[in-house]
Order: sequence, then structure tokens, then C-alpha cells
Amino acid sequence: MQIQYKPKRNLLQTILHVELLQGMALTLRTLFSKPITRQYPEERPDVQLGFRGQHALVRDEETGASKCVACMRCVTVCPSRCIRIRFHEDEDTSARVVDSYDIEALRCVYCGFCEEVCPVNALILTEVFEYSGFQREDIFFDQEALLDNWDKFAESKGGKIGSYVNPFWRPRGMNADKLTAAKRIDVPDEWTIEGQVVGKNFKAKGTE
Amino acid sequence: MHVLIVFIEILVLFAVVMLHVAYATYFERKIIGHMQVRLGPMQQGWHGLLQPIADGIKSFFKEDIVPAQADVLPFRAAPIICLTAMMAALAVLPFASGWVLADINIGLLFIFAMSSLASYGVILAGWATNSKYTFLGGLRSMAQVVSYEISFGLSLVGVMMLSGSLNLSKIVEAQGSSFGGMYLFPQIIAFFVFCVAMLAETNRVPFDLPEAETELVSGYCTEYSGMRYAMFFMAEYIGMMVMASIGTICFLGGWNGPFEVAFFPPFWFVFKIYIFMFVFIWIRATMPRYRYDQLMDIGWKLLIPLSLVNIVLTGIVKAFVG
Repeated sequence: MQIQYKPKRNLLQTILHVELLQGMALTLRTLFSKPITRQYPEERPDVQLGFRGQHALVRDEETGASKCVACMRCVTVCPSRCIRIRFHEDEDTSARVVDSYDIEALRCVYCGFCEEVCPVNALILTEVFEYSGFQREDIFFDQEALLDNWDKFAESKGGKIGSYVNPFWRPRGMNADKLTAAKRIDVPDEWTIEGQVVGKNFKAKGTE
Repeated sequence: MHVLIVFIEILVLFAVVMLHVAYATYFERKIIGHMQVRLGPMQQGWHGLLQPIADGIKSFFKEDIVPAQADVLPFRAAPIICLTAMMAALAVLPFASGWVLADINIGLLFIFAMSSLASYGVILAGWATNSKYTFLGGLRSMAQVVSYEISFGLSLVGVMMLSGSLNLSKIVEAQGSSFGGMYLFPQIIAFFVFCVAMLAETNRVPFDLPEAETELVSGYCTEYSGMRYAMFFMAEYIGMMVMASIGTICFLGGWNGPFEVAFFPPFWFVFKIYIFMFVFIWIRATMPRYRYDQLMDIGWKLLIPLSLVNIVLTGIVKAFVG
């Protein structure tokens, strides 16, 4: 990087304080420019696709329970180790049954790895960003709380929640045929290069 | 009867000035906000128009804290000295032809005296609070006032020489109502010195060392709270208005303007004061603070010689031409 030193001034510029006047001109220009402030409680931010907010376990519309199959991938991938799952195997079918599913949201760093790695789209990070509590326990989500989060979120989206899946929920740079069935989401063309999801910004840069 | 009329006039002036002080804080926050691409106060009333009133009510009901180690009498007296001195300066300002509370012949001198008295309040506040921040703030204020009072006074000597009077109404009348008659043009050096000294006298950015927030918490008024703090604040804004008035009277032709405004003779005077106030705020939004030694350098090495040169030049020109 080349450092831009300030240009030399001649005597007239020194006397007239040209730099001070330049600064004053700048502030006068910004006085008439549009402020970037958002009046938050009245004026809400647009939540972008791929926003990572409050955790939720998707409620399966058929069974009414969580979709989780206790594969433990989210527990393994979580960098802050805030997910804890207990399960047992069913005697007859030897399918895994979730006993408890806890997320200590205060430790979560909202990296979104868990929702990327989940093979059945059971765990997601919703668009809800306003949640708080008076005790730490209020932000410690067990399975019921997580399912409840999903219900509230579904309600806020007006029930059309079956289509609430987005390309950020799948691992980047993987062909669709390598993914589990639930992760094969139709991705807009502007997000992909050669069938792989790379993101809109990356594609825009790559094609330049 | 005459006393009653004067009393009513004082009340009206007080009310108008207090309203201006309140809304000067509002416009300062608004303008600086927009210059920093923010919005400024927006919640109280339409676009925050009731904010200064809410601030006033709040500062009335805040707890009045006196530090345990403070010297109580000067601590309590300091804001009152500041405010009354600045208020007293308002009495001699001619807002329009004949619109003046006290038309005294030493008007300009009276304003010098009062604005210096106000800095006694600052110094007393710094000393009496018995805290290191306020002490440093007061110390700086003292040094700043000593060095800038001189150049401030000297810069106006040229104006006095040209008009031949210290009476503020006479100074305005001496400039006439024409555009070229303004003392801004023959006294351009003095105007420059005046502008810089004016910023230093009112403790405004870039010379706000007595209350440098980044170094001294809030300088001399660190330990003040509630109404006493508000009094310092009012004194500062009235000080700005008084300085703006002097600038208007001595350099910009006072109440004279391009055309007469019927029913409201002080229109041009008020208009020019608003421009000055805007420039105060504009500078605050733009400039960083000077270092302490740079402040002293500018005061002693630049402004005082410049104003002396201006006096000599004015004298020579007046001797040969006038």
C-alpha cells in the first residue's frame, strides 16, 4: 500500500487555511446528505436470507415432534460446545430416540455450522433476534423450548413455513448429489457456480 | 413606572434568550448529528422538538450533589457567577435602533468585563470542587482567558478607532446601512483575530481545553450535577450569543440589512447571530481540539502580534485618510 502524504502547501494556502476550509466543506456536504440512522423499534431492519438468529428445532408436521435423528453431528461440529444431546436406541427398531436436546444459547457464537451440518434440517437459526431474559435459565433452551421457538417463528411468518428453507442451510461447495435428501434445496442460479453453492457476493466477484 | 417598564423588558429579554439557549442546544445536536450522518434527537415531539424542554425538566429534578471535600460556598457560587455575568452582558446589546436595555457609553468595555468575570466562575468551580479534573480544567481556563482576552480586546481596538466610540449603538450607526460600510472589510485582520479569540473565550471547539471530555472527563464542571451543571451550560450558550452579537455589531453592521423588515426591526441582527451560531456549531462538528501548547502558541505568537499590527495599520490609514 502506498501511503498518501499530504501535499505541500504554498504560502497562500497556509495563510488561508485551505485544509481547514476543505474540512468545513466536507461537513457542510454531509449536513445535506441522507442520514444512515435506522429508528430501530419503529423501523425494523430487513432480515436477509441466511440470517442467524434464535435457535429452533423444526416441528415435523406429520409427527408433531422434532425431526432430530440424534446423529450428533451438530454436537461434534459446534465450536463453542453449547449443544448437548442425550439419546437411547430403541429396543425393537434400533433407531435413535432423543431423550433431551439442550442448547445453551449464551455460549453460542451463531456460526451456523449446526444448521449446515444437520442432515434432516432439524435444527435451524431463525430470523428472531430479539430475545432476552432475567435469568440465565431463560436463555437455556431445552427441547420443548426449541420446538416452542419454532412454533412462534412459524406463527410470525404467517404459517407459510414449509418453504422456509434457504441455501445457507447446506454446506458450501458440495454437489447436490452428495447431500442428504432434505438438504437438496433448489438454489437460485445467482448463488451457484457449476452446481455448487458459493454465495451471491462470491459469484458476482468471480464473474467479473 | 419607568422601573416597571425596564423590569418587564428584562423579563422579556430573559425569556427570549432562555428560549434561544434551549433551542441552541437542540440545533447544535441536530446539526452535528446530520454532519455526522446521524439524525440527532428524534423521540420527544416532532423530530425531537421538545427535547430541550425535557432536558430542562430533567436537570431541575436531578439530585444536587456537593462533593464531601469541596469548598461549599465557592462551589455553589461558581455557576451563579458564570450565569449572572453572562446575563449582565446581554443588557448592553442593541438588538435594533433603540432596542437596548442599557444604552451606556462603555458598552464594549462592559462586555469585556463581564465575559472575563464569567471565567472567574469557571476558575472558582475548578478550584472549589477539590478534584484533579476540575482543577486542571480551571487552570487551563485561567491560562486561556489570560492569553486570549488580550488579543480579543486588541482586535476590537481597530473598530473603536474607526467608530470613535465604545457605545455599541454608535458603533453600528457609524457603519451605516450600506454593504460596503461594514467594518468587516477595513478590519478583515481584526475580524480573523476576533473569530479565533471568540472561540477561545467561549471555550468552544477547537479551544475547549477547560472541558476537554477526552482528557478531563468534563473539565471544570465534572463534579457538578443537575441545575448547577445546567447553569454552566446556559452560561456557555449565552456566552456564544453575546460573542456572536459583538461580532455582528462590530463587524457585520448590527441591525442594518439589505432592506428594512417591517414590524420586526431586529430581524437582520438576529439573522446574523444565527449565522454566527451556525458557524460555531459547524466548527465544532469539524475541528479536532488543539494541544495546550499550540493554543498558547497561537494566542501569544500569532493573534496578539496580528492584532497589534492591525491597530498600527488602522492608525496610519486613519491618520492619512480620515
